Amino acid sequence: MLSDEAVPSTEIAVERISMVFGKKDHEVEALRDVSFEIYKNEFVSLLGPSGCGKSTLLRLMADLLEPTSGRITIGQEHPREMRLRRKFGIVFQNPTLFEWRTVKDNIELPLEVFGIKKSEYSKISDQLLEMVGLTPFKHHYPWQLSGGMQQRVAIARALSLDPPILFMDEPFSALDEFTKEKLQLDLLEIKKKTNKTIVFVTHSIPEAVFLSDRVIVLSSHPGRVHSILNMDREEGSPSLVRQSGLFHEMTAAVRKCFYKESDSLDGQMV
Amino acid sequence: MTGRWSRGWSGGAVVALWMVLLLALWEGAAWYIANVAQVTAPASKLPYPHLVLGTLREHFRPLLEQGAITFGNSITGFVIGSAVGCALAVVMSLSRTVEHTLSPYMVASQMVPIIGLAPIVYGIVHDAALSRVLMAGYVTFFPVTINTLRGLQSVKQEQLELMRSYAANTWALYTKLKLKAALPGLFAGLKLSGPLAITASIIVELMGAPDGVGVLMISSLYYGTSQVYMFWSTVLVSVAIGLVLFLLISLAERLITPWQPEFRANGGEPR
Repeated sequence: MLSDEAVPSTEIAVERISMVFGKKDHEVEALRDVSFEIYKNEFVSLLGPSGCGKSTLLRLMADLLEPTSGRITIGQEHPREMRLRRKFGIVFQNPTLFEWRTVKDNIELPLEVFGIKKSEYSKISDQLLEMVGLTPFKHHYPWQLSGGMQQRVAIARALSLDPPILFMDEPFSALDEFTKEKLQLDLLEIKKKTNKTIVFVTHSIPEAVFLSDRVIVLSSHPGRVHSILNMDREEGSPSLVRQSGLFHEMTAAVRKCFYKESDSLDGQMV
Repeated sequence: MTGRWSRGWSGGAVVALWMVLLLALWEGAAWYIANVAQVTAPASKLPYPHLVLGTLREHFRPLLEQGAITFGNSITGFVIGSAVGCALAVVMSLSRTVEHTLSPYMVASQMVPIIGLAPIVYGIVHDAALSRVLMAGYVTFFPVTINTLRGLQSVKQEQLELMRSYAANTWALYTKLKLKAALPGLFAGLKLSGPLAITASIIVELMGAPDGVGVLMISSLYYGTSQVYMFWSTVLVSVAIGLVLFLLISLAERLITPWQPEFRANGGEPR
């Protein structure tokens, strides 16, 4: 194997993707000529205002949509191939738990569908429950949990088949600020433990800066890649990182993308 | 209404209280038309409930036996009709073409009045039990299909995307997600069609079947005022077996779909 440090290997390649929704006369151009690469074991955020097509982009990578033109490859393969081989997990903004299943049963859903024996997957779900800190709640039903806990279940469920890639579509945007910060920390912890490649869609600049190795900034109507920014990281406790000068510098750099983009928006963007 | 009925036995006391009040009101009204309004043959308009209940107790045995015959056939038809209804809903949810092809026929089938269809069916099969089963099934399948189909289509986009991301096949999609999501709809359909199934059986009996509570009903009608208490007793028995079926369905719903918001212990609020 080649040394990983020198040349990061490409996990996901997005090449000249365009996406148009609707039929003639009612066409909406969601994405225009979008290209970028995501490297193995990287944490990348797709950041942009609503209407920039970031969720669409994620769904294209996950083979939930077909692009109008362009090509996406994941590890040299078509996303469909990767989906059929269960090579990625997805977390949506809405936890999308099945309300008739307990927490543990929800986590085991992908394993059941995959056809793994019950005796084997019980151990897997127990480990995941431990990782997301929900072991005492494993026999609870989704409606008995807070929003943050439900989203933890969704994360554990996405990890249950141990896929190399995790797609997350604004997973924390419906949560209150405190829960959000806690879950961001936990996600970084999970990232450290599992070393997944994570593609994270968000409209929050601080969230993207705090979590990501790189931030892909998208502009809207139609969605295009505005710029791709490397996030420098400072070592230290997370609360320190959030208050550090470097963090503010990075946030400012990302913010500048939006202000520079259209002068008419300047000062109006809050 | 369904929520209140199925809320369990805590509401039982309230129901009992209303029953007593209703009987008292009935008794009062019967007394009024007999003694104050002085209408002719008051018992044939509104008999005293205590006399009706007395007749009910006196002829309890035959009423129960005939009621059981009606109930048994209704249930058989109801179960078959529900199964057909579910199967139709699943087939229709699998294919839009099938849905559009079948829908007009299903709707048209419901336009045929049962009172017209019952003698035709009885004339053809010439078997009371089988006619009851067929008619009960006939009125059952439509509400079950419509409500189950709506349940199957109630699945959210993200749930479908999730199953798709697991590369779930149609079997897994239905058994793990769609059929489960359709259960509340199925029960809504069952609760609608349960009482209908009983009514349909009784109509077959009115058309000349040899047994069942409907036969007692129509024969007591022939004898005018002398059998009026018997007639009202048969009505009460019909109501009772309809209620029993409804309560059985509600109980099954509670056991099979305990996750529904109205069955949650603390009103569905997160702990």
